[in-house]
Amino acid sequence: MTDATQTNASDAAPKMTKGSLLVQDVRTRRRNAAEARFKAYGMIAISIGLLMLVILVYNIVSRGTGAFQQTFVTLSVELPADKLDKKGNGDIEEIKKVSTFGYSPLLSAAMAQTVRDLGIKTDMKPKDMGEILSKGAASQLRDYVLADISVIGRTATFELLASSRVDGYLKDRVTRDSIANDKNISVEQLDLVDALVAAGVVEKRFNIGFITGSDASDQRPEAAGIGVSMIGSLFMMIVVLVLALPIGVAASIYLEEFAPKNWITDIIEVNISNLAAVPSIVFGILGLAVFINYMHLPNSAPLVGGLVLTLMTLPTIIISTRASLKAVPPSIRDAALGVGASKMQSVFHHVLPLAAPGILTGTIIGLAQALGETAPLLLIGMVGFIASNAPDSIASGLLSPNSAMPAQIYEWAKRSDPAFYERAWGGIIILLVFLVTMNTIAVILRRRFERRW
Amino acid sequence: MNDMRILERDVNTTAIKISAKDVQVYYGDNHAIKDVSVEIEDKTVTAFIGPSGCGKSTFLRCLNRMNDTIDICRVTGDIRIDGEDIYDKKVDPVQLRAKVGMVFQKPNPFPKSIYDNVAYGPRIHGLARSKSDLDEIVENALRRAAIWNEVKDRLTAAGTSLSGGQQQRLCIARAVATEPEVLLMDEPCSALDPIATAQVEELIDELRQNYSVVIVTHSMQQAARVSQKTAFFHLGNLVEYGETGHIFTNPDDPRTESYITGRIG
Repeated sequence: MTDATQTNASDAAPKMTKGSLLVQDVRTRRRNAAEARFKAYGMIAISIGLLMLVILVYNIVSRGTGAFQQTFVTLSVELPADKLDKKGNGDIEEIKKVSTFGYSPLLSAAMAQTVRDLGIKTDMKPKDMGEILSKGAASQLRDYVLADISVIGRTATFELLASSRVDGYLKDRVTRDSIANDKNISVEQLDLVDALVAAGVVEKRFNIGFITGSDASDQRPEAAGIGVSMIGSLFMMIVVLVLALPIGVAASIYLEEFAPKNWITDIIEVNISNLAAVPSIVFGILGLAVFINYMHLPNSAPLVGGLVLTLMTLPTIIISTRASLKAVPPSIRDAALGVGASKMQSVFHHVLPLAAPGILTGTIIGLAQALGETAPLLLIGMVGFIASNAPDSIASGLLSPNSAMPAQIYEWAKRSDPAFYERAWGGIIILLVFLVTMNTIAVILRRRFERRW
Repeated sequence: MNDMRILERDVNTTAIKISAKDVQVYYGDNHAIKDVSVEIEDKTVTAFIGPSGCGKSTFLRCLNRMNDTIDICRVTGDIRIDGEDIYDKKVDPVQLRAKVGMVFQKPNPFPKSIYDNVAYGPRIHGLARSKSDLDEIVENALRRAAIWNEVKDRLTAAGTSLSGGQQQRLCIARAVATEPEVLLMDEPCSALDPIATAQVEELIDELRQNYSVVIVTHSMQQAARVSQKTAFFHLGNLVEYGETGHIFTNPDDPRTESYITGRIG
């Protein structure tokens, strides 16, 4: 070493004048330029990413917020006894025989009455005026009456949904030009809407129904909500958490701490890594074959969805758990064994608590992945028009047909009515809120559990 | 270092605590320990010295079966503690390790409070019947490890927040809290500064009153200072074993002499 340096130094000595330190030589300049270039590439990459994020968020927010607002019509509706309770005996079974078709004229009449009272001049028929309202308004009225038949014969005030065209008109989605070929709404009706808006009868308001409600048919986009599929997602997440976390953690602890290292465990290890990369639709068809066709669990049930997503999430949880177990310094295990702890005590008292933040993060990432998964749900029938009411018990929540948030969003996005398109974006906002919340919880829990050694 | 005083040190024990016969250790195909036979006395500090990779740590870890945790490690031969074969199928290594405590090269306190660090062993072995019992055990252990005065006001502080020397003494306290009969120390001072080292050495000398202490060390001065018996390992062989004074002043084997004088290693 020393010899070599000395030789070099003496060889180079004649022309060794290195030049001033104040002037960069060519090599340094080149190296600095390369470094600056690399930094610039990094900045560009991050800027592109940020730009995309901004565009994405802007798009989602600008298109989706509309779904949280809905147009309501405040209407006093007379509930005449001679129409609703024809025999006048107050028998609920009799009253139930009056279908929604029996209620529609009441709404039209109420509409016409309101228009007359406000002194709005129009030559529309009451039936056409009634079309401003959602097609679900009549059933809302009927449900109200059937819930308490004593209201028959009185006049009650309702907040009724306006039809999606009227809603779209107030949100600038529907214009007078765009309805030229639209049979669902006419220019006269829009004139009436303008007048009613001015009178304060028709107004846009926050729509809790979108967050709590269930999906609605093609005819009534204004009534569609994501609430029930949110419950479906929730039940699936419960199933995934309850199954995947203990199974995944137990499997990783066994593989990492107890299992002998031989070719069998090697094969298992490789397979787990491969499973993490299997397309989710494969898990879907596996679920269809095993859980539905073989075990005869009900179609479209969150239980089956949860089982399929458990299979999908397990590799993620196992891989992250094993990584965090590996990251626990072996000296901790030695310390525990050294004072006479058994293997299991050393794992559960010392290793696992230290690995908990990593396990937790992996689990929540796995859950978030499962929450956003749509493809496997296609195959077990959780994507489709499922407009059931909110489940009334845990068992029905698990077993009755339901959808999931991403499946509901997909379902809306593929329908033709642009009113559903808005709801798809709104659904994405809710889904993202869920994911951000989960990640925040993960970060908080992680901070809490994190210990240094 | 004042090596002269080792000559004056008397060895006043006779009972054999650990006796190893023809111990072989293999790591896969690697024959790490060859035919080691040694008898370790009770209430004595026995030092294992030798160059790196000579197998002294490996042999130490055989004494409480810590090598069991290494899959590829295979131990044959006969190691007896108080006449009982510790590699017998009926022996539970967990029970063995409660009897044979260990202190590691790198201080490795649990990332828990100082109190919990020391209390962990007694807790899992059920040594304390009540909270006050446990408090007493913890205090005694910390006192014996000569760290009580430094930490008595902050027993709830994290064990990892202590300095390196304190951490190592905490680990010693943790080891003695389970009332072992033998204490194995694997280079306990290699991560410590001279002052902490002196404290630990003093401690080792005190521990000799109650335990049989086996210490692996790279420092020959340390071996000379703290031990009564010394074993010199070289390339997996036990070259020489005898009284420390004898080994350091008048070794029988030329290899021992070369190592002590710094020619090999």
